[in-house]
Formats: sequence, structure tokens, C-alpha cells
Amino acid sequence: MASTIFRSLHSHPFLFHPTALIRRKYVILYCTMRSAQTQTATQEKVKPQVKVSPHSTQSKALEKASKDYEAVIGIETHVQLNTLTKAFCSCPYNYGSPPNTSVCPICMGLPGALPVLNLKVIESAVKVGLALNCKLSLNSKFDRKQYFYPDLPKGYQISQFDVPIATSGYIDLDLPLEFGGGHRKFGITRVHMEEDAGKLLHSEGGSYSQETAEVDLNRAGVPLLEIVSEPDMRNGIEAAEYAAELQRLVRYLGVSNGNMQEGSLRCDVNISVRPIGQLQFGTKVEIKNLNSFSSVSRAIDYEISRQVLLHSQGQDKEIVQETRLWEEGAQKTVTMRKKEGLADYRYFPEPDLPGVFLTTDYVDGIRNSLPELPETKRRRYEKMGLSMQDVLFLANDMNVAEFFDTTITKGADVKLATNWIMGDIAAYMKNEKLTINEIKLTPQELAELIASIKDGTISGKIGKEILFELLAKGGTVKGLIEAKDLVQIVDPAEIEKWVEKVLSENPKQLEQYRGGKTKLQGYFAGQVMKLSKGKANPGLLNKILLEKLNAKS
Amino acid sequence: MGSRALLLVKGVSSSSLPKNQLFCNFNCKSHFPRPNNNWVRTNCSTTQSSGPSLEPPDLPRLAQTARISLTPHEVEEFAPKIGLVIDWFGQLQDVDLQSVEPSIRADTEGDSFRADIPETFENREAMIAAVPNYEEPYIKVPKVLNKE
Ligand SMILES: [Zn+2]
Repeated sequence: MASTIFRSLHSHPFLFHPTALIRRKYVILYCTMRSAQTQTATQEKVKPQVKVSPHSTQSKALEKASKDYEAVIGIETHVQLNTLTKAFCSCPYNYGSPPNTSVCPICMGLPGALPVLNLKVIESAVKVGLALNCKLSLNSKFDRKQYFYPDLPKGYQISQFDVPIATSGYIDLDLPLEFGGGHRKFGITRVHMEEDAGKLLHSEGGSYSQETAEVDLNRAGVPLLEIVSEPDMRNGIEAAEYAAELQRLVRYLGVSNGNMQEGSLRCDVNISVRPIGQLQFGTKVEIKNLNSFSSVSRAIDYEISRQVLLHSQGQDKEIVQETRLWEEGAQKTVTMRKKEGLADYRYFPEPDLPGVFLTTDYVDGIRNSLPELPETKRRRYEKMGLSMQDVLFLANDMNVAEFFDTTITKGADVKLATNWIMGDIAAYMKNEKLTINEIKLTPQELAELIASIKDGTISGKIGKEILFELLAKGGTVKGLIEAKDLVQIVDPAEIEKWVEKVLSENPKQLEQYRGGKTKLQGYFAGQVMKLSKGKANPGLLNKILLEKLNAKS
Repeated sequence: MGSRALLLVKGVSSSSLPKNQLFCNFNCKSHFPRPNNNWVRTNCSTTQSSGPSLEPPDLPRLAQTARISLTPHEVEEFAPKIGLVIDWFGQLQDVDLQSVEPSIRADTEGDSFRADIPETFENREAMIAAVPNYEEPYIKVPKVLNKE
């Protein structure tokens, strides 16, 4: 930490070249109106896609038209950092605190108050920059962006303009199999640090004759990272998976909770559509209010169809540069605000803050402390021989991955451990609404359980019973086996006694079996297993049973 | 290049920024800061004017970008004064800064960052009490349209 030195900026090759500021936001995409089926790699489900038009003739026309157009998509993501304090003042930030309780002269923009940068913001930005394979700016700075709304009372937002802390990176991800699978690499244009605005709430008239708005400044000044993607995404699913991978990344890095519902991860999407072969970009439309991955996916696909339809009907003039809102209820985008000319933010270097100077030692220190990132983990799991479905499931949640890794470290078989985690353990977590850190089962005991089944100490059936006991109440496999006398019976003499008992108690079925109704073997096996209280070794049981059934009486 | 940098920094001095967004409705009428004429003239006279290379600003637009309302009379009054300031910056364009590195702010020595340790501001009540329109627990402001 001490190795980070802040001092004023001395030279900036890009500083005064406004042309260097133009961001590329476009990507060429072959617009395939694929219908989304079940789920993303994340735990969130993507609902079946809603058709643009209820009229089948129109949908068909649209389907046909979509082959002649390509969409161009870019995403800006705001990630709220989970620092204890705000970016430029020591006010604590806790989501959901009573309004206007976490404020001070700095974040209220009172005259004379000076910002002091929270070092953790730099650390988080460097982590994210490195994890996104970016080039870091060792000399960067903060700028003022003019902002005239009361949720940021200073009258400007402290941001980074022409020298962002990180540029030119990329992110790798794997698409879930249900969306066709495949690996994708999406470019990252830039990552920069800035402060969040407070919350502006609209109250409907109330006792006032004129309409007013309400301001809560708790969030004003909370640190954000803005991550701008290169335009490499082709459709709604790719965009949603990009957002999901960013969420995974910031969670792995521990810099944000990445919670979309709370607004800790916000995506603004830019989309345009043009006829294939046309060099000029179509008119760009921005979509906001995307609160989940599925809404990112569905809003984009909706918007592409809307624009393709207008193009195909010769009404492309109807597509105007505007911001549209995604309406979750209606499953469509609606005009929020038309853009008239480019906004003039009148950026200039923030005079109240020193430049941001990073030493290579500091950067290397952070690089060496980075955890294994989702992409590295997935490739490692793949090399362990797991299927892509298993890989995506395990690597999706850092804690699940850690649980799995520890289980393997304790000597468990890779495939068996995967099956237990993805099967009964995942189902239990889902039913009980628990995270893997909240269940009582430890990786040590899962490894023990797998080993006990493998070496024949207990049967798979008993194993499952023990698992649910361990999940709910904890304890050890050994302890449970002893306490409940669950050790598998492998003594042929004992099993033979049970078999004989069952056969003698079911003379009618035995007769039917010997008369040719061999399907009854399953019935007998079940009866014997029941008699053994599930402890009989299934292999031995069946072997002895068959001998007895087929023996001449 | 160097003089342009200077303009970027000095052109929007903190005094010309609009006031606090809570304490001044952004549509309210506020007075455009008056440039100190003596200061401008003194400096102008000490420099050889080789003809300003900067366009005079469109004052109504300048006021609009700063969310400041000016009457036509005020525009008339301020335009020549602003013009003088711009002229002065125009002269700075001529200074040869080829060998000078751009400077954004005064150099500060020592630690100018802080650790991530929360501290609750003690005098919140006084700040809240100074808000013109506060109705527990919110700060009331005029309805905002077309927010970015
Ligand atoms: Zn504060």
C-alpha cells in the first residue's frame, strides 16, 4: 500500500487530444433471432423469448428480414465497489441505510470541502484492470464532468476522462450449452474510476401543489468502476453472458457484490442495426433499466427485432438516437428521452485531487495477489476431464468452486465429487435457499463420504441418507456410520440368510418367478434390501439372490 | 498545445461554477461572476497583443451550459468583458511552451490519500438544518426532467 505514490501529473501524452476520447461502441453482428431456451450459466433463468409480433405473418417477415441485417452492440457497465467508505470522504456506505444519514460536507458538496481519495478505490480498479487483461495507466488523473442534478450536489461528478486507469483489455467466457455453447473473447475498451450519484426519487404531487422530487444522498460519492466493452457481442445472450462474467469477475476479486437488483452492477446497452454490407452504422439507441441478465438478453433481442422490422418496412427514419427503457412487465422497450445533440460535459482535470501515480511494484504486488480467475478455473476444470456443463456450474460461484477444490484436495474422485455437488447438494441448497457456505457439510466430510462408498464401507443408498444428515446437521461420516450402525454388510452368509427368509416368506412370487416371470427378481432384491435395512452390499445381494432363485428346489 | 491546456484549466475556474445543486435550483437566476476588469486590463497591457486567435464565446450558450439564466441586458453587459478574458488567453496561445510540460495543479507533497476506514461526520444536524427544503428523511427539490 505504501508503495502507491500519489503526486501531481507531469506528462500526459493523451491529455489534450480530444480525438483520443472517442470511444468505439460498435460491433458487427449477424442478427440471428434465436429463441432463448432455459438458462444462462448464472443461477438466473432466462425466460423463453417473447416474440416481437403476435401476428405470425409479421414474425415470419421479421425472421426473413433479420437475415439481411446486422446489429451493432456495445455495453457500459457500472460496478459499485464494496469499499467501507465513499470514494472521496470517510462516510460509511451501507445499502439500505435510512436516507441522508451517511453524509458529510464533502459528499453534500458544501463550499470549501475537499475530496481525499480512498486508496481502496485505486486497488480495486487495478485489480479489475489486471483481471480484464488491460494495459494500466501508471499516470492517470481525475476529471470533473459537469452534472446539473441535485443527486450530486457539487454540480459535477468526479470521473476519469481522457486517461482512464485501464484500457485495451479483454474478457473470456464460455456460453452455456443450451445457447449453443462456444468460447467467446470480448474486448474491453476502458475501465475508469468515478463517483456515484445519490438517489433521486419522484414523489407524486403529495401535499404540494407543484411536483417535487426527493433526494437521498447516501449513495452520492460511492465509488464506481465504469467498464466499457469493445463492441464484440452479437446478440442478447452474448451480452447477458458478458454481464454475467463481469459479475463473476468482480465477485471473485472481492471488489463488489455485483448485485444487479440493488444496482451494484448496472448495464447500459447501445444497439444499432444496419443492412448487411452497409459501411455506415445505423442510428444508435441506448437501453437502460436492465436489472437482471435475462432483461439484458431480452431487451437486446427485442430492440434488434424492433429496429430490423422498421428497416425492413422502409421506416428506418423512425429509428432515432434516443434512450429507451426496458419495461419488464410489457417485455418491450419504450422511449425515455430523445437525444438532441451531443451532451457537453465540459470535462477538465479535477484540481482538488492529485494525479494517480502507480509504481510497477504496487501493480506487481496486486497482480501476484489476484485469486484464480473464473476463466483460469474453467480451463483447469476442463483439463481435469469435466464436461463443459460441469465446468460452468462449478466455476460460476466462487464459493462452490472453492468447496469443490477443497473436496478434491482431500482426495475425492473428481467426477464423483462433481456429481454430488451438482446433484443432491445443489438441490438441497436450492430447496433450503442456502449458499454453499451455509450448509453444515464440509468438503472434508464429502471427500470422506465418497471414499466410504468407493471402498464399500457403505452403500450408495446409505451414502445419500448420510449426506442429507450431514447437510442439515453436520457431523462426520465416521461418526454417523458408527452411531447408526450403517456399515455395509458384505458377509455372504448373512446376506444368504436374508435371501432365504424372503424367499420362504414369498412362495407365490417364487413360483411365478420360476414359471418364467423373471422380472420379479427386482421385487425380491427390494425385499432383501429392506430386510437388511439398506445395508446389504447390492452386488453380493443380487449374486446370492440369483443363485437361490435359479436353484432347483 | 500548452496554452490550450492552460485554457482548459483556467477557463473554468471554480468561481464560475454554478452553486451547490441543492441550495440553488438550477433554473434559478444567479449572477454570472464578474471578471475583475482591472486584473484583465493590467495583464492585457503587459503583453504584446498580436491579435487574438480565439473566437469570442457565444454567451447565451455559455450561460446555458453552466445552467445560468442571463437577461438580454446581462448578455450585452457581460459579452465584452468575457471577450477581454478570451483575448488574454488568445495572447497566451503565442507563448512558446514547446519545452514545458503541462501542469494541471499545484504539486502536493506527501500522502494525499486515505485508508478505507469509516468515520461518521459529527455535525450532520447542522448540514441538514441548512437544507432549504427538507422533509424527513428526504431533501426536497423541484421535479427533475430529462435527467441523464
Ligand atoms: Zn461524505
